[in-house]
Amino acid sequence: MEERLYDLIFICRPDTPEPDVDKVIATIEHTATEKGAKIEKTEKWGRKRMAYRVQRLREGLYVYMVVRSSHGEVVKELERRLKVADPVIKYLTVRLDEELKRQEKLKLHRERRAARRPRKTTAAPAAPPSPASSEPPTATL
Amino acid sequence: MTEENAPQQQAPPAAPSGPPRHSGHGGPGGPGGPRPPGGRPGGPAKRGKRSFVRKKKVCRFCVDKADFIDYKRAEILAPFLQERGKILPRRITGTCARHQRWLTVAIKRAQNIALLPFAAEL
Repeated sequence: MEERLYDLIFICRPDTPEPDVDKVIATIEHTATEKGAKIEKTEKWGRKRMAYRVQRLREGLYVYMVVRSSHGEVVKELERRLKVADPVIKYLTVRLDEELKRQEKLKLHRERRAARRPRKTTAAPAAPPSPASSEPPTATL
Repeated sequence: MTEENAPQQQAPPAAPSGPPRHSGHGGPGGPGGPRPPGGRPGGPAKRGKRSFVRKKKVCRFCVDKADFIDYKRAEILAPFLQERGKILPRRITGTCARHQRWLTVAIKRAQNIALLPFAAEL
């Protein structure tokens, strides 16, 4: 089965001591590897102001991870862990691979098009729209 | 004329790229397509006073050649929200259909992880 890539973000209470945050990260990593997934990236964004209050809190410690897995069960388990972890107030998992695939495809498409007509591509997108939009109103008179 | 006024007054807080004008006539794949003669476009010419040059709005993401709109970067999504937290329609921002579609998804994700507000507080 194909591999899937997930973004995993969770927010801890702002008063959580650093070791506790690390503990949560360690649990996630442990659970992920146990289930056959791989943590590709772990980033601590640190204290950030949240756009709205969550559990009466205005700030939170953001942690961002990227998980690669071949089956969706891992996400289920990770989310369950986050739900029961005390310092975590909010979490979000987003599947990324399909969007990255689309991105690749578009990039390839554009490169191919650029290669086909090397000189014209820079001029073409800019030129046609400008005369078209300014002309019609005056022409109707 | 009242139709034109409403979006103009609403727009300034959130659309930083150029003065917003009414509906995206002549925009990328504009809604109407070919119009019957003597329709709306004729108006400004007749009433000489009201004729203003409509600045062409372009999709910011097309300019940047964006293939992917990252929900994690709240600062690039924020200009597309109204003060109250509503998502701005593309008739005001000039975003193309495809990018608006991606943009809404990105904004909604960002809202879920408290990077962007669902609605203004207070």
